[in-house]
Amino acid sequence: MIPLLILSPLILLAAIGAVWMARPVHAALMLALTLALVAVLYLALGAEFIGLVQFAVYVGAVAVLIVFSLLITRPGDEAEEIERRPRSLVTGLLCTLPVMAVLAYTAASGSNIKLIPWQPKLSIAELGEVLFTSHAPAVLALAVLLTAVLIGAALFAREPDKTQDDSSEK
Amino acid sequence: MKTGKPTRWVLPGLGLFQGLAVTGKNMVQSFYKKERMTTVQYPEERAPISPNFRNFPFLVYDKDPKAGLRCTACSICEKECPPQCIYIVLDRDENGKSLKRPKVFDIDLSVCMNCGICSEVCPFDSIYMDGEYELSTDDRFGGLLFGLDRLSKSAEYHMKLRPEQASEVMARRKADEEKKAAAAAAKLAKAKADAEAKKAEAEAKAAEGKGEDA
Amino acid sequence: MNLFAAISTEPALWSPEWLPRLPQRLVEMLLGFLGAPEWLVSIAGFLVAAGTVVGVFLGGFALLSLIERKTLARIQNRIGPNRAGWFGILQPVADGIKMLTKEDIVPAKAEKFLHLLAPILIVVPAILALGVIPYGREWTPVSLELGLLFFFAVGSLTELSVFIAGWASGSKFPMLGAMRAISQMVSYELPLIISALGVVMVSGTLSLPLIVEQQGGFHLGFIPAWNLFTPWGFFAGILFFICSIAEANRCPFDLPEGESEIVAGHMTEYSGFKYALFFMGEYLGLFAISALGITLFLGGWQAPLPGLGFLPSWIWFFGKLAIVIFMFLWIRGTYPRVRIDQLMRFAWLCMIPMALLTLPAAGIWTILNRDGHGFLAWAITVPLLLIPCVIVTVIFNRRLASANRTYRFAE
Repeated sequence: MIPLLILSPLILLAAIGAVWMARPVHAALMLALTLALVAVLYLALGAEFIGLVQFAVYVGAVAVLIVFSLLITRPGDEAEEIERRPRSLVTGLLCTLPVMAVLAYTAASGSNIKLIPWQPKLSIAELGEVLFTSHAPAVLALAVLLTAVLIGAALFAREPDKTQDDSSEK
Repeated sequence: MKTGKPTRWVLPGLGLFQGLAVTGKNMVQSFYKKERMTTVQYPEERAPISPNFRNFPFLVYDKDPKAGLRCTACSICEKECPPQCIYIVLDRDENGKSLKRPKVFDIDLSVCMNCGICSEVCPFDSIYMDGEYELSTDDRFGGLLFGLDRLSKSAEYHMKLRPEQASEVMARRKADEEKKAAAAAAKLAKAKADAEAKKAEAEAKAAEGKGEDA
Repeated sequence: MNLFAAISTEPALWSPEWLPRLPQRLVEMLLGFLGAPEWLVSIAGFLVAAGTVVGVFLGGFALLSLIERKTLARIQNRIGPNRAGWFGILQPVADGIKMLTKEDIVPAKAEKFLHLLAPILIVVPAILALGVIPYGREWTPVSLELGLLFFFAVGSLTELSVFIAGWASGSKFPMLGAMRAISQMVSYELPLIISALGVVMVSGTLSLPLIVEQQGGFHLGFIPAWNLFTPWGFFAGILFFICSIAEANRCPFDLPEGESEIVAGHMTEYSGFKYALFFMGEYLGLFAISALGITLFLGGWQAPLPGLGFLPSWIWFFGKLAIVIFMFLWIRGTYPRVRIDQLMRFAWLCMIPMALLTLPAAGIWTILNRDGHGFLAWAITVPLLLIPCVIVTVIFNRRLASANRTYRFAE
């Protein structure tokens, strides 16, 4: 309970920072901080595997990719961004409404929420077994999707005038 | 390969290991092969300087640093020096007669450009280029102004620094001296002969006079 | 919090295995003698244990900075630093004093806070990663069940901190360096992790001490049962080594800080102590990745020959570490820097396919060996890996490495 109390305000602050920062790079770094704090929360709750994976994948890969794509794009106008804020805020709040509604519904309907009893820790071997037996179709679908994305990205990244280059080389 | 010639097939990646072998050999041999290590540990060891190395002028003296100075304060070098870094004051005795030696001979290191013209023009074999290179100092003004005391170096030093040039100079000077001595001896002999001739003449005259008288 | 819990079992008193943990035990005994409460004793013990590891590797960093210069000098037939102290042994001290007393310059256009944050963020993951390595039979600072995952998780923070350094400096060269660094590290992290996965498949655990323990014993009485001496382990080990060179930003993959091209990459705008921190982070990262490689492929603290077990295990570990680090230095002294397009091509066209191939090879190896078909395992896995390796090398050598690069903007 204590880690949750300490961490959740921090996560919230970081998340608000991620949407509030005018500079895209700052926003991306705040996003990375948010994800890292969520990972810490997982660790604090005893879910080591998911916490470390969260850290490796989200902080190590996703945040880095966002940041990298920021590096190779032209930054927008900051003043414009700040000017746009009130409208963006309204839109953003509207978008959160469904989530809020679900949360409110759960909170209102349920005095039946009870604390989940401490589960014996799931070993990685078991996790792997579950992933590759009962959840194998999902994993495979995901793999196909990712492969398709990778191939698509490679196709997009290919230089369009490759054949001309080849002919000029000769 | 763009050239149509088929190149000899080598194992791909072989070059990586060949490169490692070369550097590995370098490293191992550097521990026992003296000729590999060319580093000179400077303040303790010095690389020998070439006789052609010329850096800053110095004044040569024979035997005595004060009296043996070859310089006659003729000021030719002072006038020829392109950046005018030489300053000479002629030494005179109380009567104002030239002593043919410098009272002040200063070279400003900060101005000197090491061209060596001073040594080229000196008719007295007095000024030569030095091999000294540790001339840096923390005293900007005094430390860079070289007076007679620091400029004067012995003929032996010159001999050691640049043996070929120095021995040639010494030989010439010796020859000159001998010639001079010979000339002086000849002069002396001639004077003696002259005196004798005069004397004889005088005697003859006297005798003649006597004879006339008589 | 399981992270800080298990410090491995107490070794026998006065055994040489015990030596690295002597400070920890002494502090614990002293505090216990003074009647300190239990939690204080354990926290102090933990701090001292962590301090031991950090101290060892900071000392190693200082020593390595000297040895690297000495080795490179010898490779180039020079002498290297030999003025400060006996054979230059005090050179790191002199360097440290110089670094500490230098002016700390923050560029006017820099983001002050991020500029300060980046060097810290680069040291922290390296030290964290060093914490989970089993250095000896009884010396694993933090024995995690998920040690390998933890290592890669904290290691991935390095990319972010390099980006922060490059971006917060507010100038061109750091930015270029950061872009190069990120693209390089992302590309090489993939084959790095995949080649480590083979070990996980075979040993069935992510715990580093267990992985080391499974590499104990000897084949035929004298070949150590390290992962390196299996077909898949050999290939995976080499791939891991190449990737770790790239991850550690060392020559020939030192493009992110190629000094002849972009000054010092993301470290260009750093000076004084912050620069020293970058330097330190880089060397600690090098230690960490070499230590992981040793743990995964070179049998960690296992002795290389039977009958050499009388030496304490951590000596073997650090001996192997020294050899691996020397390989890094040797390679740095030998190879020229590659071009960025060669680097990326190599990563995506050679490293990743080969790394992926080690996975089925490891699987086949494990299954066949479990069923007792040792010879069949060799017969299948060796061609499975060797033939694609030769094909990839030949193709890369013929076509890709010598392909002319087209310059779009600088003609």
